Amino acid sequence: MTRINKQKPGKIVKPGEDFEPWESHNPVPLPVIWIAVALGIWGTALLLQEQDSKVVAQAEREAGEAAAHDAAEGGAALFLANCSTCHQPNGAGVRLAVPPLQDSEFAKAGPGVVAQILLRGIDGPIRVKGFTYDGHMPSFAEALDDAEVAQLASYVGARFGGGETVLAPAEVAQLRMTHSGSGSWQGGAELASLVADLPPQPPMPATAEAGLDPAISDLIFAGKGDVWSCASCHGGLGQGAENTPRLAGLSQGYITKQLHDFRQGERHNEHMSFVAKGLDDAEIDGLAAYYAGLRVDSTAQPALGGDLARGEQIALQGDWGLGVPACFSCHGPSGFGVGAEFPALAAQQPAYVASQLAAWAGGHRNNSPLGLMDRISEALPEADRRAVSDYLASLPAVPAPEPQAMARIEGGEDEL
Amino acid sequence: MNRYLPLVLIALGILAFATLMLVIAPGVQIAQHAVPKGLNPYSEQESRGREQYVSLGCVYCHSQQPRSPDQAPDVERGWGRPSVAGDYVFDQPHQLGTMRTGPDLLNVGVRLPSESWHLTHLYQPRAIFGWSIMPAYPYLFEEKAEAGPEDTVVVLPKGFGPESGVVVARQAALDLTAYLLALDRTYPVPEDALRDDGYADRESGS
Ligand code: HEC
Ligand code: HEC
Ligand code: HEC
Ligand code: HEC
Repeated sequence: MTRINKQKPGKIVKPGEDFEPWESHNPVPLPVIWIAVALGIWGTALLLQEQDSKVVAQAEREAGEAAAHDAAEGGAALFLANCSTCHQPNGAGVRLAVPPLQDSEFAKAGPGVVAQILLRGIDGPIRVKGFTYDGHMPSFAEALDDAEVAQLASYVGARFGGGETVLAPAEVAQLRMTHSGSGSWQGGAELASLVADLPPQPPMPATAEAGLDPAISDLIFAGKGDVWSCASCHGGLGQGAENTPRLAGLSQGYITKQLHDFRQGERHNEHMSFVAKGLDDAEIDGLAAYYAGLRVDSTAQPALGGDLARGEQIALQGDWGLGVPACFSCHGPSGFGVGAEFPALAAQQPAYVASQLAAWAGGHRNNSPLGLMDRISEALPEADRRAVSDYLASLPAVPAPEPQAMARIEGGEDEL
Repeated sequence: MNRYLPLVLIALGILAFATLMLVIAPGVQIAQHAVPKGLNPYSEQESRGREQYVSLGCVYCHSQQPRSPDQAPDVERGWGRPSVAGDYVFDQPHQLGTMRTGPDLLNVGVRLPSESWHLTHLYQPRAIFGWSIMPAYPYLFEEKAEAGPEDTVVVLPKGFGPESGVVVARQAALDLTAYLLALDRTYPVPEDALRDDGYADRESGS
């Protein structure tokens, strides 16, 4: 502390030439010390208190992760979580799209048959209770373990088929071995080998093995002078990553429309306008046909920290308080897509779905017919957009993958 | 000023305390954690690319640290999950960055896995994003009348390349791209990772 000669107000007294400021012992005033000590105590207390809060936050995160990973317990819960989105909670199916389980020939054939269907999925036409369906049933071989498949198959056999057989996990393990790598059941025609006295099943249409046009295959895997290869961004299997979408299994009509929209500037994305400007109509059609026919296992996982239960609610029931209809009412049961207008959402990359919902809400994507998605996205709060994106990522991919595709995903390393 | 010794001692004490709390203790804490499963050391080419990244100063515009959803919508932008300490074990010097003039790059190899995209972008960002303010790096490339068998030709729309001939990537551009493609921290966070969970939700009562 320094002291200067007291000044009389109004009159400026300059210190003399030989003036030296000096220090003397001047204690810090007591109140200041008290305040400092009080602040110190307060700070420490806050720190200790927030320590608690951190533990709670960690517990919250871990609980959330556990909820995302743990499969539901018990046959009924497993059925609600995995099957009811398509076959409906009462097993009645969806007219013309998903066959009923209630009293179906396959449920009646017992849990062994149901388990084999679960392990491989079904592709191609099938006749159930007098109606023919031509959809795709995903394979649950990756999503469910032996015990879960056993539980679920026994439950379905008992509730819908009226049987009493109970399948053991060991038997499922046996079945899994026999069927590993065999791809989807080729419609009711192939399933007839499992189930005795099945009514006549529609024949499997001969797959036109047209083979991929080399010009299209070049575009996909090598690119050309002014276009990067599709696979270099969308992945060797069209599986996508982060905000680059999964293309495998989107309908041909939808892909064609999007590519035209990118080219004409009706949908905005710098990467894709660059690419689409280099494509002609024939190339677009060829690419769309290729990706629409591609069957690839899901590589998407919930990643946005969304609330899966809330996401499921929005997808299945919508939220009328917000004026949001159920997503699946347009996008099909389990989000497998309907016709050319309503794209598949199941197994789509969550960051991509969230980015599209945000783009509609912000007016950046405005090419959907009748502005259907604009209003829905605007109505959804940010947390709900994340929740529904994560939920969609947790669904199995439809159509079920071919064995070759699975092998290539496991092999990993694409040279692209 | 006549009590030098206590002054110096106190100053050294404060310094030692800071070193202990800010350098040594965190160092010990971090050293106990294994390298996360799924994170590979950089290959020789990727390390060369990393040196390019450092010396070209990409860090001045790009961070490498995605934030958790309660801080910023990074996961929704496709920038990846919030990073943890273990993600940086092979990064010396780290390129965390403070500026986000451009997007975060810690997971750019996942969302943009295309080598040819990166070459076009490094040669001329405005060939893709008309509005981009990222500098072009033409000196990582050379113009040739005709591409040799070993050359990687850059995909360019009309108007961005030379009048005639092609643009091919120099080794430096290929190295840098290899590094960018190696940026992938999408493996699951290790169980015991040091991570910032933020604080509990106030509403959920705690
Ligand atoms: C993505 C929608 C979807 C989901 C989810 C789904 N299925 Fe299916 N399922 C179908 C379709 C579509 C068919 C008809 C296959 C065809 O047309 O080729 C089918 C057929 C079946 C059949 C044989 C036909 C019948 O009706 O008896 C059984 C059994 C079956 N599913 C059981 C299940 C069980 C059990 C689950 C839950 C683990 C499940 N499905 C989940 C769509 C689905
Ligand atoms: C530079 C990386 C890149 C390349 C190369 C690329 N894409 Fe894309 N593609 C994207 C991104 C990113 C999106 C998401 C656009 C958005 O966010 O609106 C996308 C979106 C799409 C969509 C819309 C998907 C949907 O679900 O609405 C289609 C279709 C598509 N791409 C097809 C192709 C085809 C075909 C090729 C090859 C000729 C190709 N892409 C090459 C990055 C790329
Ligand atoms: C009224 C019918 C309708 C409802 C309900 C609906 N959608 Fe859509 N959705 C569409 C249509 C139509 C498109 C195709 C837009 C286009 O062609 O550009 C679409 C496209 C999308 C896409 C883009 C897919 C892609 O690959 O780019 C996403 C994501 C999406 N919807 C999510 C949702 C979610 C989430 C919900 C539920 C909250 C929902 N939709 C409810 C009609 C609907
Ligand atoms: C002056 C600031 C600036 C510098 C320096 C800079 N960038 Fe960028 N960068 C940007 C901006 C702005 C964007 C967004 C627009 C674009 O993609 O061109 C971007 C985008 C990118 C992207 C695309 C990311 C995405 O998700 O779309 C990559 C990759 C990238 N930069 C790499 C680099 C590399 C490598 C360097 C160093 C050689 C570098 N940048 C230096 C500003 C910068």
